[in-house]
Amino acid sequence: MATTPTSTARAASTSRSGSTSRWRGIAFVGVLAVALVVAPLVSSPYVNYQLSSIAVFAVAILGLNIVMGYTGQVSLGQSAFLGLGAYIAAYGILHGWPGPLTLLLCAVVPAVVGMLVALAAARLRGLALAMITLALPIVGVPLARRFDDFTGGSQGQVVSWLRAPESTGLANDQWRYYVVVLIAVVAFVLARNLVRGRIGRSFAIVKENEAVALSMGVSPYRTKVLAFTIASLLGGVSGFMYLAIVQYTSPETLVFATSINLVAAMVIGGSASIIGTALGAVYYVLVPVLAGQVNSSRTALISGAVLLAVLFLLPAGLVSLPRRLARLRSSTRRPHPSAPPTTSDEATHRASAPSATTDQHS
Amino acid sequence: MTKTRNAARASGVIATVSIAALLVSGCTRDSSSGGPGADDSASSPGITDDSISIGISSPLSGPTAGPGSCTIAGLDSYIEAKNAAGGFEFGDGKTRQVDFTYLDDVYDPAKAVSNFRQLINDGIFAYVGALGTPTNAAVMPIAEEEEVPQVLLTTGARTFSSDQDAHPWTTGFVPTYATEGRAFGELLAKEGKPVTVATLAQNDDFGQSYLDGFNEAIEGSQVEVVADATYEPTDTTLDAQVTELASSKADVLLSAVSVTPLQVGVLTKAQSLGWLPRIFLPSNTSTPGTILQPGGAAAYPAVYTPSFSKNPNSPAFANDEDVKAYNDAFQKYGSKIATTYTPHCAWSYAEGAVLDEAFQGMEEPTRESFMDSMKSISGFQAPLLLDGITVDTTTKDDAAISTVQLVQYDGQAGFKPVAG
Amino acid sequence: MSLLELEDVTASYGHAQVLHGISFSLPENGATGLLGANGAGKTTTLRAISGTVRTTGRILFEGRDISGLGPDRTAHLGIAHVPEGRGTIGQLSVRENLLVGAYQRRDRKQIATDVDYVLDLFPNLQERVKSNAAALSGGEQQMLAVARAFMAKPRVILLDEASLGLAPSTARRVYDAIVRLRHEAQVSMVVVEQNANLAFSVVDDATVLETGRVALHGSRDELMGMDAVRRAYLGG
Repeated sequence: MATTPTSTARAASTSRSGSTSRWRGIAFVGVLAVALVVAPLVSSPYVNYQLSSIAVFAVAILGLNIVMGYTGQVSLGQSAFLGLGAYIAAYGILHGWPGPLTLLLCAVVPAVVGMLVALAAARLRGLALAMITLALPIVGVPLARRFDDFTGGSQGQVVSWLRAPESTGLANDQWRYYVVVLIAVVAFVLARNLVRGRIGRSFAIVKENEAVALSMGVSPYRTKVLAFTIASLLGGVSGFMYLAIVQYTSPETLVFATSINLVAAMVIGGSASIIGTALGAVYYVLVPVLAGQVNSSRTALISGAVLLAVLFLLPAGLVSLPRRLARLRSSTRRPHPSAPPTTSDEATHRASAPSATTDQHS
Repeated sequence: MTKTRNAARASGVIATVSIAALLVSGCTRDSSSGGPGADDSASSPGITDDSISIGISSPLSGPTAGPGSCTIAGLDSYIEAKNAAGGFEFGDGKTRQVDFTYLDDVYDPAKAVSNFRQLINDGIFAYVGALGTPTNAAVMPIAEEEEVPQVLLTTGARTFSSDQDAHPWTTGFVPTYATEGRAFGELLAKEGKPVTVATLAQNDDFGQSYLDGFNEAIEGSQVEVVADATYEPTDTTLDAQVTELASSKADVLLSAVSVTPLQVGVLTKAQSLGWLPRIFLPSNTSTPGTILQPGGAAAYPAVYTPSFSKNPNSPAFANDEDVKAYNDAFQKYGSKIATTYTPHCAWSYAEGAVLDEAFQGMEEPTRESFMDSMKSISGFQAPLLLDGITVDTTTKDDAAISTVQLVQYDGQAGFKPVAG
Repeated sequence: MSLLELEDVTASYGHAQVLHGISFSLPENGATGLLGANGAGKTTTLRAISGTVRTTGRILFEGRDISGLGPDRTAHLGIAHVPEGRGTIGQLSVRENLLVGAYQRRDRKQIATDVDYVLDLFPNLQERVKSNAAALSGGEQQMLAVARAFMAKPRVILLDEASLGLAPSTARRVYDAIVRLRHEAQVSMVVVEQNANLAFSVVDDATVLETGRVALHGSRDELMGMDAVRRAYLGG
């Protein structure tokens, strides 16, 4: 075959570049791991608190990204699961349950609640589903206030726990950092494998086209319920982590505004992206702090301006920054960037695709 | 072959970066919790011979931004005016300038903790005057652990003052909700004749502490609660509750509603039903411009509310020296932080004076000495407090201000002392 | 026994009846075409088979009546529908799209072999195996849609207007691959196609539809020999 030599050469070259990029990936993970381990040892308690907060909200945003970013379903209720997890953790710790059992319940109970909500709601689409998730924090806050035997009412509950064991020689802030970062790393690794695998593909196909999903034997309903359940589970786990570092929970933990801010952070970081999720958490925690350093009286304004700036400059989120920079660099080097092969059928495809995928007529 | 070279390269990168990280940030961290300024073992962090730094975190954005900004603006006005006049005199004979740092927490406990940690990291001496129950509750254990004063808090919850032996680093400033409720009960009990009361309260511990204070005061009197109802802060209307209460035809309505539009709704609904009881309103929902006038409160025989500070905008106090000083200082400093007036502006200004008083009694430049002095103020007439209201920090179970005066709506834009 | 047999199938969207009694059959390892003008009911016939439109009459697949089953059930039985507009998943890579096609399968090794096979069948896809499907040209997307349908290891592929919007040379390449697929992988096909030349390169026989009814049925050679058919569908 005439094509054989070139295709072999191409295969060789891709495998070589594949191996360098894999090594670069391993080096990146290694550096990240070292940085995560070393950081708390050399940072002040304040910095450790901020880093721990990033880990907490990264897990909450991770859940949100699975249901919204990867599966395309709107959820405005993530704060309710964060709060539920925090309350379960508080209840467990105050009643002397072992930490691992409490963590397990913080994952399982919100997951079951999320699943029940999704079983009822996932048959609905778009706005109706959004409205149901929206109701969760709105109902949750007064419930948390009313059941004050369980929740501590409006004044919330202080839970002093997770002190560093003497033998570790660590300060409390360092110990708590390691606990939450470990949980976050495990959650991220599991989520990464999930979205890269068979289930992740079913999320993508449901997000893009439910009719096609059905024709592939993927049930959109079951897929949505699964995504929502996983999101709730991660929300609950982040609640456990929240209690670990804040040592306090109150109805304020699950207010609707937190849900909205989490959604904004997810979009800012990068929808349907694991790295974007982490960047979103960095944004969620650090931008208010930085805004406060610029002008405490104008934090909302500054945060809003940053949000708009990122959305305009990087519509695909912070995670697209390197790609964007690379494109800028190549376009300055070559005034006419090599356009992707545009053929006449491509042009027609672009024009006809949206209507063709949605309404098939006979 | 390639594989090993790549592996070597990767581990080389890891090693270099981790060493760099260690070098850049220094191999060990400061083990004391004080942060910068902690080098002098005799004095606490945040205080030098000529300066002291204090900090606060309150909501400066979001739904509670109005009161939150005022808890900073009034305090800032007092501090900056005093700084400009030479500084604060301390019990150790030194005069110091006060550095005041304020941060926004949007009423979010996690952000309040973050801000508090940041302030400690920046080396503040004390945390003063913060607004909000959940935010301060989240900060309290850390203040205890780090032994940082968390004083003169602007929250009506009892937690911060009711057990000062258990929480030695924390004190509240404004009267608690129970104090307000108690004042209502006392007024009715004192009348010495049978009175029927209907109560409407938020269905949580705030509403409950209001009612607790009220019920304590009416015990054994001829005052009788004949109807009660509760609501959720998320309710959009209280018409059903008001209708139910109106059927009791009680003489008095205690409307412990803390949501502005709902309180307006209560006032309009009751009179539309032809029910015109005397009405008691909490201090945080009795502003004439936003609640009483829109609610048509002039129709009721009497509308009472607790008060402990002068309204600097009221013509009645136009010639008051303290009010003039406040207005000058606020114009110059505080108006940059808070654009609209809430009573919290006046309160936090008075709080500045209490802080001043505590500094004057502070004999050592330490947090312990500050707390001792802070808890030994009594009979102090702070500026802008109503006559007869004094600051007393010596009680172990109540806020710095533990009395209120009831005032009565004058039917227009202000209040007058309670008749009789 | 036929693999697929339609007996007097009707279908409607709301009150508008689109099919008025369609009957045809597809033998095992066969390929049959559905021809007709726009609105004749070709696409609806495919949708009737895959279960995305309500029908009456009987649809027998391997001797079993599958009318009334939803698209997920028919997919499970081995009917792969390549819809008009392709329905590739833009945010997934070419390889991931192929794996989506194999969603119901558990035989990992065989899946990997089949991926290699379809990439060999469509060299254009081989070149762009890591690209997101959204970045593909229209022709490549069509190839991907066909390849993905094959990944489900179906008994029958329902192919809807695979040449739509493609340049003639691209459409030719797509159909060449489809022909290869039919013979090498022994998949049966129902082919809906405006361009009868392309259709006749694959099918053994065809049914001509007119406004929801069967107008004509015949083998490829019979139909190609008819003047009426030539004029209507073969451009002369």
